[in-house]
Amino acid sequence: MAEKRIATRKLLLVLLVLEIMLVLVSGGLNRALQIGFENGRFYLRNVEKTYDLQKKITEDFQPDRYLQEEDELPEIYGSERLYNFFREVFGEKNALSSFQLLRMLFIVNCILISISLLVRRHLFKKPSKPQVLFELLYKFFEDFVKDTLGEERVNFTPYVVTLFIFIWTCNMIGIVPIPGFIEPTRNLNVPLGLGIMAVSLVHILGIRIKGFWKWFKGFFEPLPFLAPLNMVGELSKAVSISFRLFGNILGGAIIMLVVSSLVKFVVLPIGLNLFFGIFVGTIQSFVFTMLALTYIGAEITE
Amino acid sequence: MEFIARAAALLGAGICMGIGALGPGVGEGFVAGKACEGIARSPENASLITRTMLVGQAVSESTGIYSLVIALLLIFST
Repeated sequence: MAEKRIATRKLLLVLLVLEIMLVLVSGGLNRALQIGFENGRFYLRNVEKTYDLQKKITEDFQPDRYLQEEDELPEIYGSERLYNFFREVFGEKNALSSFQLLRMLFIVNCILISISLLVRRHLFKKPSKPQVLFELLYKFFEDFVKDTLGEERVNFTPYVVTLFIFIWTCNMIGIVPIPGFIEPTRNLNVPLGLGIMAVSLVHILGIRIKGFWKWFKGFFEPLPFLAPLNMVGELSKAVSISFRLFGNILGGAIIMLVVSSLVKFVVLPIGLNLFFGIFVGTIQSFVFTMLALTYIGAEITE
Repeated sequence: MEFIARAAALLGAGICMGIGALGPGVGEGFVAGKACEGIARSPENASLITRTMLVGQAVSESTGIYSLVIALLLIFST
């Protein structure tokens, strides 16, 4: 068994070195080596290949502008019929980005719903493996909510845990190596919606718990003429919390694309995905959740 | 005139990113150093300190992220 594993590792290593050498040989000349099967015959040929980084960035991050400049559609991943439906509803210009965004959001939602159904089927007194994982996660955030909001408001935990799992899944879906899988949080609309939701939840809770007049008086503290500043501060909460998530994910995606195209997509993208995909994604979703919790705590506790 | 505006926008994006990265860099390094001191003083609180440090770093990083967004706007929308 162990010998077999070592042999597999050696084979993988040899393949890796071979790939690096091939890329180094063919990369500098704008040529690519194609290996494959065609009509039942093995072929190995050297083809001319141009890779325009600017065009790729425009195609990935500004599909609307790409449509204006190129007059040809970038590759559409997913159902063509659904895209045509989007073209009728949103118009030619906005169809592409909204189609990609809503498709990825739909996939994320499907993953979340199916995971929750699967875990619900395996709930026992003697915990099963997925149950332990999700109970650990829930307990982790329950302790935070207890620390921040107090013992009697533990019922905020489901909102907080849902926020974390949703944003985390959104960030993680970008590292799945399927063409067209982009992070939904890369689009500003998703973090902005989540941020507006969190801030409006804060104020609705403030009105419900403190009463309208006390909540309204909160704007005129410590001095009455500071009211406009306080209002702008409340707005900037939503802006800062959402732009932080959006900027981190978008910046990471652009850095990943640029650096991986500089090294001709060899080996390094894995390390970049580990840092910008997994590490930054987890930290940012955690920070978003903690900040939303802190805003709620600052509003409803005296 | 078009290309002068484009060149100015690109230059502005570079300057924006360069100066905007100074503050968060200094701030995050300071936070990490203080967290190291705290962990050295009380190793039993290491997980709590690390958690607080990461949240604090992410918050202090936000100004750098703003400059990144401005730089992206300058590059892609002019």
